[in-house]
Parts: sequence; structure tokens; C-alpha cells
Amino acid sequence: MKKVMTLGVLVFVLIAVTPLAWADDAAEALMNESHQAYYYAADGGSARVTMVLTDKKGRTRNREFWMLRRDVEDMGDQRYYTYFIKPADISRTAFLVHKNAAGNDDRWLYMPSLDLVKRIAADDRRTSFVGSDFTYEDVSGRLPILDTHEIIGADTALGRSATKVKSTPKDPKTADYAYRVTWVDDATKLSLREEYYDKNDVEVRLFEVGKIETIDGIPTAVERTMSDLKGNHSTTISFAEISYAAPLDADEFNERLLRNAPSAYTR
Amino acid sequence: MPQIRHRIIRFSVDHPRLIVIAAILITIALIIPIPNAVIDTDPENMLASGEPVRAVHKEIKEEFSLSDFLVVGFVGQTDLTAPDFIERLGLLVAAVEEMESVVTEDIWAPSTVDDIYRTPDGTLVIGPLTGPRTGWEDNQPSVAAKIAGNPILRGKIASGDGRAVALYIPLESKTYAHDVSEQVKAEMAAIGGFGEYHIAGLPVAEETFGTEMFRQMAISAPLAGILIFLLMLIFFRRFSVVASPMIVAVMTVIWTMGLLVLLKFPLHIMSSMIPIFLMPIAVLDSIHILSEFHDRYQQSSSRRAAITSTLEELFAPMLFTSITTFVGFISLVSAPIPPVRVFGVFVATGVAVAWVLSMTFNPAYAMLLPERVLARFGRLDEGRSFLGRLLPRAGRFAAKARIPILVVSVLALAFATVGISKIVINDNPTKWFKPAHPIRVAEEKLGEHLAGTYEAYLLFDATGTADETVKDPAVLTYMEGLQRHLEQMPQVGATTGVTDIVKKVRFELKDGDPAANSIPNNAEEIAQELFLYEAAGGDSEDLYKFITPDGGKAVLWLQLREGDNLAVAEVVQATERYTRTVPPPAGLTFAWGGLTYVNIVWQDKMVSGMRNALLGSFAVVLIMMIILLRSVILGLISMVPLSVTIAMVYGLVGWTGKSYDMPIAVLSSLTLGLSIDFAIHFLKRGQEIYARRGSLAATLEELFEEPARAIARNIVVIALGFVPLLFSSLVPYITVGVFFLLIMGLSGVATLFILPALLHVRGARALQRWGAVRVRDDGTIDEMAVLAQSGKETVA
Repeated sequence: MKKVMTLGVLVFVLIAVTPLAWADDAAEALMNESHQAYYYAADGGSARVTMVLTDKKGRTRNREFWMLRRDVEDMGDQRYYTYFIKPADISRTAFLVHKNAAGNDDRWLYMPSLDLVKRIAADDRRTSFVGSDFTYEDVSGRLPILDTHEIIGADTALGRSATKVKSTPKDPKTADYAYRVTWVDDATKLSLREEYYDKNDVEVRLFEVGKIETIDGIPTAVERTMSDLKGNHSTTISFAEISYAAPLDADEFNERLLRNAPSAYTR
Repeated sequence: MPQIRHRIIRFSVDHPRLIVIAAILITIALIIPIPNAVIDTDPENMLASGEPVRAVHKEIKEEFSLSDFLVVGFVGQTDLTAPDFIERLGLLVAAVEEMESVVTEDIWAPSTVDDIYRTPDGTLVIGPLTGPRTGWEDNQPSVAAKIAGNPILRGKIASGDGRAVALYIPLESKTYAHDVSEQVKAEMAAIGGFGEYHIAGLPVAEETFGTEMFRQMAISAPLAGILIFLLMLIFFRRFSVVASPMIVAVMTVIWTMGLLVLLKFPLHIMSSMIPIFLMPIAVLDSIHILSEFHDRYQQSSSRRAAITSTLEELFAPMLFTSITTFVGFISLVSAPIPPVRVFGVFVATGVAVAWVLSMTFNPAYAMLLPERVLARFGRLDEGRSFLGRLLPRAGRFAAKARIPILVVSVLALAFATVGISKIVINDNPTKWFKPAHPIRVAEEKLGEHLAGTYEAYLLFDATGTADETVKDPAVLTYMEGLQRHLEQMPQVGATTGVTDIVKKVRFELKDGDPAANSIPNNAEEIAQELFLYEAAGGDSEDLYKFITPDGGKAVLWLQLREGDNLAVAEVVQATERYTRTVPPPAGLTFAWGGLTYVNIVWQDKMVSGMRNALLGSFAVVLIMMIILLRSVILGLISMVPLSVTIAMVYGLVGWTGKSYDMPIAVLSSLTLGLSIDFAIHFLKRGQEIYARRGSLAATLEELFEEPARAIARNIVVIALGFVPLLFSSLVPYITVGVFFLLIMGLSGVATLFILPALLHVRGARALQRWGAVRVRDDGTIDEMAVLAQSGKETVA
């Protein structure tokens, strides 16, 4: 009888706990899938990006650049290269990021006016990416393993059915928000919307995808906006001429590339 | 005229109840809107909202997102940038970020600003100032040293030795200044260990002003009322009689303030002084009425006859004194300063109200008093009172010593003229607070240790240049040159511009090469260095505090250790000289903003505006005096005592070196309108007595009885009525109090001495009007003319 009781309790506990544990696993799996789809599609690619920065007075600045990506390994290290076309006074300026999943990134900037490559600080992924509302982390991705995830419901975003996932940083020091809620597209697993909250549950940042296109069979968010809700400024990036053909090998993302941009991307 | 006079007087005496009830009803109706008064403490509103300088100031503030801020300054004996203090400061900043109305992202504190440096391996880093420098390991510099090495932060966030640290809290709305500063104080007490601190900044100053203005109206004006009431009680000894002018004064204040609020005018530092101005002014006519009534009551057959004859005698002088006072205040309308205009119009309105109430309410009140209250009124022998004994002696002295009196007056004028030439026009709204006031102390301490808390902004507009951008070597080199030029001036604590960001980035980029601490001569390099600043982690919004996103305009911040208009004007002039001698790049234009600059603009406008108002009211009052006294010479003579007085007082301003500031400028024309009153009563009533008695000596003798007593009482009331202002904590109020005491006291005394002296010098016919009584050369009177004169008066 005692054994039956024990078994009963055990079964009860299992039944009670399983959905939760399962949900956590599911949430983490979903976020991994989403991260892969969003940041690691194919082995790399290239796109011509238009960046519109809107300040709190509504004044805008435009930047145009080519962005090249090459994955060293899925969900691991990556290489990013950015070559600026506009505005004219910074054209030919180039930017190289070695994303190191295990530690700090490496970043270099090439200044054509001085023909100088300068290494710039990279110990904080939360710093702004070239003065925009996107951080380096937003551009290259925050690894799902840094957060605990929880599915909190179903919803729609961009007219598509999505699953809402609440992600809380395991170490609060690694983020400048308390938690975020992501709308993961049920069909493509792309992130459609992300709301960032501070410790008082006030929404401080908002990420929104404006448009999804399928390129080379890969669903791609071709228009993305990040808004700073406290500072009331935002940045929209739009992707054109997208290709998922890996443009260069990973080891070609080096200082030589910074100084000599491939002619295909200097138009 | 006489018909109107008779009608007004008869109406008041015949319908006392109607008048009292009507007055009470109007008072109740106008007291209702007063609690809805809107306070305006914005110093910018010294200028009309359409003033170009305000538009530029606003444009600069908006274009570069510059908010008004509170400054919390810490002063200590040790380096306050040491980790433990910085940690406390970080906690404080975190708490401040949660406070309502704080523009969180623009808070400037050691924990919120960026450090720009390079690591030993040459990596450029733009990161938190208070964090350790990457790669510097054991050679970490102190926060103070990092600030000293950064021209963008130097003199703002901390002093070089770290003994002074500042926290800048920008506010969305100034109305939260008090709340935020109270919360900051509470937070500091909770965290503990902050030591000596000071809270400064415009929003705090304005808040204090608002409170002070209310105190002014709620305490000083009633205090003036009580003081005046006591003085009148001493003069007339009858509470129920003296109550009448007090009711007139209180009603005048309520009607005027009620109208002001009803017409949606805000309460400004100027308009807050309306009650305390009206209190004494409103009782002046009543004092004359009471003095005369006091003398006549016991000799008259009836109360009605005594009142009627008193008002008949005083009607003309009271009308004219009210009109001249009205002119003195209404002349302020010509000032280009809206608050001064509002002040002038409403005090003038109050003067008119006071006249109407004096002429109607006083007689109505007297008619309603029970007969027994008045039974013993005026029985006291005035001749034995202090004034009654003193004044006739003064009159005899003035007659005897006429030459010395005039010589002294001329000497005084000469002394004054020299003094006036020494007048220094200067003002500083911060110095409207007393030296011991926390704001002044904060200002001084922070000026001593940091680069100063007074801000001026110089806008560089390059939208008209060939490249339409300030990111041009010629433009930035020019800005840099001007910065170095202006920094040589002692009052300039620091200048900060986009130049400093470019130079700092370039210096670090080129591995600390001293030659690189300069503006590059290549536009692309400038653009790329600014881009590098952003790419390496610098905040774009910080950049936009110095340059617009499109690069078309830049603003140079000037931090001044002194906020005196003179000191600011010197900086402006130095800039103008620089732009004349060193031609700026073609198409580059400049514009000034910042409150310190707005202040010098309104000062200029006020000084010229007030001079015109003074000249204008002098001319108008002179013409009125000529008409009233029907004599050009007497008109001119009547202006002498107050001219000598005003010259003397302004001469004293010059000699003592006191700055000719806002209150002093405003007072000139209105004291003229008030102090002429003494001369009007003296000369007008002198003429009336002269017409009756026909001899100058006899006239003067009689003048120094009741009329002189009434004038002396007025002098005492108007001079002492402003005494409560001396106890204000704001300097302009004190200045007004001292000035009125001086001008009213001096001009009253001058009237009683200089006028008889001048009349004696002029001779027996001095008080003659044109076409009136004829006096023969031997001093006897043409009897027919006297008859004709009195007949004319009666017929009319």
C-alpha cells in the first residue's frame, strides 16, 4: 500500500511537472531554432543595407552599406564585414567583426582618409552598432544559452501566427534589460517582434520586423526596426540584393579585406 | 469740470449705502478669480515671446536637445572621484533615473558619461568613465585624472583634483524642479556619506522665485497695510475713521489683482509687487481728505458740509496727483519688457481705482458713521502735535535760508551729475538672491572649483556655406580658434564643441601624438573620426548635443564663471571683434543663445526703454503741471524738488558703484509720477490760499499748517509703506524698498524746503496764475481782480 502511495505521488509529481519541464525544453528548442533561422541561415551571405536613423526630433540620417557574413560554425563563431557606401564622407570606411561565441568579439575599423586600420573596443556587445539603435548583439545575435526561456502563449505578429517566449538573462549583468518577450513566427521560426522590459516591467525597447521575403528558399526578414522607447529614437534597416551564396571564406575576413574591398561591393 | 465735481461729491454724500454696497459687491466679484492666478517665473518672459533672440534660444535648445537642468555639486577635502564616493553617486543616479520628469538619457554624472582612451595594444575604447580601463591593469588613472584629460568633460563633471564633483539632472518640465530636488535630498540622506553638497540651476532658482513672490504678496503687502494703518492711527487717533482709507486700500488691491487674474495675466516678479505698491498709494488721497476733514469738522455746521467743503477744496489737487501718478506708471507701457508693461498698466489702473474709491467710498463711509464716533474727531489741537510744531518752523527756516537751500541744491545736482556719469549698467538674476542664499553659495562654490554654472551657446550655422556642413576643416578650425581666443578671458571657464570630440578621437587614434590633438585639414577625416566615435561606442545623442545629425549646424557651449551681464557682454563683444578681424569661412553665420545672452538683450531693451519712459513722463508731467498751475514758471518750479531728488538718488547709485539693474531702471519713471504729488499739493493749495489771502508770506505760513501736515503724513506713509520690502530675501524687492524710502523721503523734504525757497526768490507774485489775481508791484492786491476771480469760481 505504501509502495502504491509512493508510486501514486511519483506519478502525480511527474504529471504535474512534466508539462512545465517540457515547456521549458520546448521554449529553449524553439529559441535555438529561431536563432539558427535568423542569424545562421545558410553558411553566410551578403546584402546591400539601407539604414535610416531617426532621432527624437524626427530628423533622419541615412547610411548605406554592404554587409557580408560567413559562419565559422552553426550557432558558433561568425565573421561580419561592413563596407560603407553612403554618406559620401564616410564611403570606403569598412568594419570587420569576428564574433567569438566563447568570448569577446574582435572589431576593426578602416579609415580611408588616414588609410588606417584601428582596432576598437569590443568587450561590450551592448554598445551601439555604428551609432544606430541596434547593438552589436542585435546584429550578430544573443546566444539562447545565455537566457532561460518560457513559452507564455500564442499570438499574432505581422499578421502571422506566433508563439510568445519570455526570455530572462541568467546573469543580469549580461543585459541592460530585465527580460524580453519574443514573437516567434510559427511558420518560419523567425523572430517577428521583441519587447524589452526593465525591472519595473516598463517596455524600454521594441524590435519589429516589417517585411519577410523568401530568398533562395530561405525566409528572410528584409525590413527591421529597433526603437528606443525611452529616448524616443529608432533605426530601420532594409535589406536588398540579398544573396545566400557565401561570398568569401572565413579566413578572408581579415585586414586585407578591410583595406581592399572586393569590387563587387564598391558600387 | 466743476459740475462733474459737484455731481460726484453730492452723489457720494447722498447715496452712501449704495456706494458701500456696490463697492463690497465688486470686491467680492473680483476676489473670486484671484486663487486661479498663474505664476510665471521664467526669466525668458522678460522678453516678448516673439523676440528674435528668444526664437534663436529656443531653436538652439530644441535642435540640440538641451534641457534646463538641476546641478547637484559636491565639494570635499579629498578626491571625490575615489571609488567609494563614485559608487554612492552611481546609486544616486540610479534613483534619479526613476524620478518623474527627469530626462534619463541626458543625465550627466561620472557614472553616465564616456571615457575615450586607447589600450596599450592600440585599441580605441569609448566606454563608461567610472569603469576600469581595459588593458591598463595596475596603471588605472583616477576618475578625476580621466576627466582632466578629456576636454568634453573637463570642468563640468569634476575638478582636476576631484574635490568637486557635479551631477546634472535635466528636466522635461521645470515644474518638477522642487519635487526632484527634494527627492534627491531624501535619496542622499538614505544613501549617506555625501558630505557638503549644493543644488543649483535655473529650475531651482525659478522655483524659489515663485515661492518668494507669494511670500511677497501674502506677507509683505499685508505688513505694509498694517504699518500704514498704525501710522494713520497715530495721525488721526480714531480707529473707525482710519478704517475707511484702509478699506479703500484693500479694495484697490483686490480690484486690481482680480482684474489682472481675470484678464489672464500671469503673476511675474514685477506684478507680484503690485499689491505693495498700491497699498501706500491708495491711502494718499484719503490722508489728504482726513487731514482736511479733521481740521474742518469741528468748525462746520454739519458733517455733510464738512465733507463737501473738504472734497471741493481737494478735488483738483487729488485729481492731478492721481493723474501724474497714473502717468508715471502708464509710461512703463513704452518699455519693451512685457512684465514691466503689465506692472505699469495695472498699478496705473489701481491708481485710478484708488482715486474713484477715495472720492466716493470715503465720504460715503463718513456719512454712515454714527454721529457719536465723530463727536470728538479733530478736537485735538493740531498745533501742539509734533508735526504741528515742527512744520511751521521748517517753513520759516526755508524762507530765511532760501539762498543756502538753493546753493545746496545746485551742489547736490552737480554731485549727482558726476555720480550719474559713473553709473554701471549691470544685472545678474542669480544675484537677485542674497549672497548667503543656497543658490548663490552653490553658484559660487561650483564656479570656484568647476568651470562655472552660467551657460551661453554660440550657434555655428553652416547651411549657407558651399558644403553646407560644419564638418569642414575651415569651419571647425575657425571654431577652435575662437575657443582658444575666448578661453583667455577670465570669466570663460570652458568652451566645448564638436571640435573637442574630433580632437580627442584623433589624438587617441594617432596613439597620443600631441600634434594630432588638432583639427584635421581633411573633411573626410573629420567625418570618419566622428563616425569612429559612434562606431566605437560613443552615444549619437551625445554627439547631437554639439552638432545636428545632418551636420548643418553646430553649437559651441560656453561655461562662464560669472553671470553678470557685463561679463557676458564682454564675451559677446570679444566674439564680434574676433569675427571682424579673423574672417570666418564664407557663408558661416553665428547666433547667440542661452539665458545669459537673453539677459543682456533684455537689459539693453530695458535701459533704453526706461530712459524713454522717464523722459516721456517728465514731459507729460511738466505739461500737466503747467496746465494745473496755469503758469509756465510754476510748472517748471514744481519739477525742481523731484528732479534734484531723482538725480541725487541715481547719482548715489553711480557713486556707490551699485549696479544699475532691473529694479533701479524701472523705478525712475514711476517715482517721478509719485513724488510730484507733494509739489502738486503744495503749489495748488498754495495758489488757493494765495487767492484768498493775497500775500506770499501769509500763504506760506498757512501752507505750513494743515497742507504741510498732510504732505508730511503722505511722505511718511509712502516712504515707510515700502519698508516691509527691506525684509525680503530677494534683492530686487529690497532695492525697491530702499529706493522708495530714499526717493519719497528726500523728495518730500526737498519739496518742503526747495519750493518755498524758490517761491521767495521768485518774489511776491510767485503763486500767480495766468489771467488770475493781479498783484501790484508793491505787493498789494488788486481788489477787483480778487473779486473777479472768486466770482468766476462761483459762477463756474
